[in-house]
Amino acid sequence: MDKKVIFDKDKNFQKSSYFKKPEVPLAKVEDIFPKRSLRSSLPLPNLGELDVIRHYLHLSELNFSVDTNFYPLGSCTMKYNPKINEDLAHLDGFTNIHPFQDSQDVEGALELIYNLEELLCEITGMKRFTFQPSSGAHGELAGMLMIRKFHETKGNIKTKVIIPDSAHGTNPATASMCGYQIQVIESNSDGLIDTGKLREIIDDSVAAIMLTNPNTLGLFEEDILTISDIVHSKGGLLYYDGANFNPLLGITKPSLMGFDLVHLNLHKTFSTPHGCGGPGAGVVGVGEALEDFLPVPLVKKDQDKFCFDYEVRHSIGRLRSFYGNFGVLVRAYAYILRLGGDGLLRVAQNSTLSANYIKEKLKNYYQVAFPKKCMHEVVFTCQSQKERGASAFDIAKRLIDFGIHPPTMYFPLIVKEALMVEPTETESKQTLDYFIQTMIDIDKEISLDCEKVKTSPHLAPVKRVDEVKAARFPNLKWEKPGV
Amino acid sequence: MPYILNTKEDVKEMLRAIGASSLEELYSLLPSKVKLDVPLNLPTSKSEQEVKRIVKELSEKNNPIEKYNSFLGAGCYDHYIPAALPFILSRSQFLTAYTPYQAECSQGILQAIYEYQSFLCLLTDMDVSNASLLDGASALSEAVLMSLRITKRKKVLLVGAIHPEYKETLYTYLSGFDFIIQEVEPGDDGLVDKEAVKRAIDDDTASCLFSSPNFFGLVEDVNELSVIAKSRGSLSIMLTNPLSLAVFKEPGSLGVDIVCGDGQPLGGGLNFGGPSFGFLTVKKDYLRQMPGRVVGKTKDREGNEAYCLTLQAREQHIRREKATSNICSNQSLNAIAAAIYLSLIGRDGLKDLALYSLSNTQYLYQRLKEVRGVRIPYSPCVFNEFVWETEDAPRIIEELYKKNIIAGYYIGVKLDQYKNSILSCCTEKKSKEEIDSFVNTLAEILHG
Repeated sequence: MDKKVIFDKDKNFQKSSYFKKPEVPLAKVEDIFPKRSLRSSLPLPNLGELDVIRHYLHLSELNFSVDTNFYPLGSCTMKYNPKINEDLAHLDGFTNIHPFQDSQDVEGALELIYNLEELLCEITGMKRFTFQPSSGAHGELAGMLMIRKFHETKGNIKTKVIIPDSAHGTNPATASMCGYQIQVIESNSDGLIDTGKLREIIDDSVAAIMLTNPNTLGLFEEDILTISDIVHSKGGLLYYDGANFNPLLGITKPSLMGFDLVHLNLHKTFSTPHGCGGPGAGVVGVGEALEDFLPVPLVKKDQDKFCFDYEVRHSIGRLRSFYGNFGVLVRAYAYILRLGGDGLLRVAQNSTLSANYIKEKLKNYYQVAFPKKCMHEVVFTCQSQKERGASAFDIAKRLIDFGIHPPTMYFPLIVKEALMVEPTETESKQTLDYFIQTMIDIDKEISLDCEKVKTSPHLAPVKRVDEVKAARFPNLKWEKPGV
Repeated sequence: MPYILNTKEDVKEMLRAIGASSLEELYSLLPSKVKLDVPLNLPTSKSEQEVKRIVKELSEKNNPIEKYNSFLGAGCYDHYIPAALPFILSRSQFLTAYTPYQAECSQGILQAIYEYQSFLCLLTDMDVSNASLLDGASALSEAVLMSLRITKRKKVLLVGAIHPEYKETLYTYLSGFDFIIQEVEPGDDGLVDKEAVKRAIDDDTASCLFSSPNFFGLVEDVNELSVIAKSRGSLSIMLTNPLSLAVFKEPGSLGVDIVCGDGQPLGGGLNFGGPSFGFLTVKKDYLRQMPGRVVGKTKDREGNEAYCLTLQAREQHIRREKATSNICSNQSLNAIAAAIYLSLIGRDGLKDLALYSLSNTQYLYQRLKEVRGVRIPYSPCVFNEFVWETEDAPRIIEELYKKNIIAGYYIGVKLDQYKNSILSCCTEKKSKEEIDSFVNTLAEILHG
């Protein structure tokens, strides 16, 4: 198999003239700039177009993707990405507009953002949204900075943020970037927030609690209203990490659960493609208390015209250049229109149905970490398999041989040998049954031929990759041979 | 229902397996107080045909840039994109894959990102590139945070003309800390006022951050700025347009420690400003303080070459509150696009692209200089944009706009002291005819 990197395929090909030579005189850079500021060599490869097409199409064939494989990756909501959304996001009127064009030239883009804001406000119960944050973690940063400024403006001295031990790593990392100390709260034996403990640790120094609901065990925080009361009673705010919002669409709203602000991952719940890890959008919605702190600009309607609004009293400022990952917003808007309120409810119900179905069918083979009825994802603990010689890691890798992307492994951190399975609503029962049977087969295989599981995958483009070596001897870029 | 494949019978059977009598029962653990008792007040589902009509109509309310003779740049540039690029990017196995945490079924993604990292290191002459950040402004902010961690100092110098939205972003990113940001205004020549920097820099300065080309399009004396930064043990951070590095000396050889910027000029569309991607390249000493994902080349268990995400102990999913950044999702697809774009156009194409943009810009510069009533305050040492001034700039911009010409970015929007300043940009897409038409129309407006 051809494994060369593109640089080793340099043919010194003649240039492919994608660009028209200007009619104006070509500048003599040596006459304009001091010689010491000019580059003397540009060691990039020159290839023909077909060479490049073959190279990258070949690379694409080495990957699993939602369009080609079942992808039950917990907390990532790898649902099908509808193709109409791609079509619409690529319309000339959306891709070919400059962020500094006059607002009358981008009226349609502003209207789309305005409409999307109205839809998301209804879905979440929030009052306003900012569309700048370009990933979930970016949304968290926006949200926590708003919380910080909210307290500062009120003259509150707050130093801590409470985060459950089951939380996504981005939560503590973000709170720390906002200058807060992290107070971790342990989950109780049901996998939920222990309200007794929360009462013990809560005090006036707590700025906020960051919660995912359902949490990363796939469980709904049943005491959410009590949690809300406890935190609010001490002047703290409730931050909703929307990574797991999919099963609750049309069932409840973060506002009803007492949350003051919400980030939504449009690349999870609202079907925009993950693109190997981005671009996404982590848009943030706020209730009344935080409206004055939103990043600028917002979009407003002035009579019948749409324009940017920079007048936000205590705005935290700007999170990036321009207005966010606009192309992602177009896709999410099309998705919500297509499904409608009725469709979103079906999305939620079917995502929960699928996860519970897998849980029921596998619970006699793989121990469920916390046995309560789950929402959109279920966490198994592979300790019995580990005792028989194969870890969660081994099982995950063996799934690749069956064309199934591994579930999220070793997360949440509080579950030993965790495999976190999120099937999503877009997978058919037949696919779920195939996954279930494969998992059962692997469980049997561990007893019969453990070595086969431990040395998997066998059918992937490479065998198990040595990640320890990669970290110990970092090779992070191509070097010219002989250098 | 669109995108849901389960039939009624499937649902029934699955419910039976679970032991639930209805879909509603799946939510029995939710307190009734939080449950919606009325459906969401949203329109009902629509056919694909209807959705297409609605969204397309919105898109048609916009006026794409090509309807105008536009000289807008200021951080987002209108370059020609070869047809092969969107073709490759539309491959599902790039478009609909997740972050390549599972190396064995993601080798193509990983190799493409490794190639991206290599391209960026070659362009900047640095040792390490991460796998992308969200955009140029957040990349700059992450670069500054990185310098504060490395030096354990408290102060950052922002020197010379830097994109105002990037500066605003940095202030936001740093607002949770007690760091000090000190700005050193550009001198009368539009360049960094080096003497002022020498006065401002001290032993508590973590880094000295400048832009080259700077916000006014001018190329700075990168080497000397790095020397000044190092004189007090501070890091030298350079914000740049990566396309300009086809012409200008690679920053790594000029003493820069961290290079960052927005990758949009490398094959990105305008996209109303996003998505594009941020890049960050650093010297190897700083590898462990670098934010974001990075791909490494290694072996599989049989000794074959293989790739994986590596050095993850810096990242939030391992290190949590002690991570180098909270970043998780980045702009992978846009970074991969840059690698494909650079492969397609190659070294000759990239040189052409930079030189053609620069030539058009120089031509416009010289032509505008001849127009009475136009003042060009700075030297022609510019890459693809420059500042010019005229009395009553907003009115002139408006007059030009009426004649279908977008003169450029009005700097006075953000900065009062530049109320007569316009930043105009030329890419390779500008024809001589368009440039002449701009200049002639302007002369007519100014002199009737």
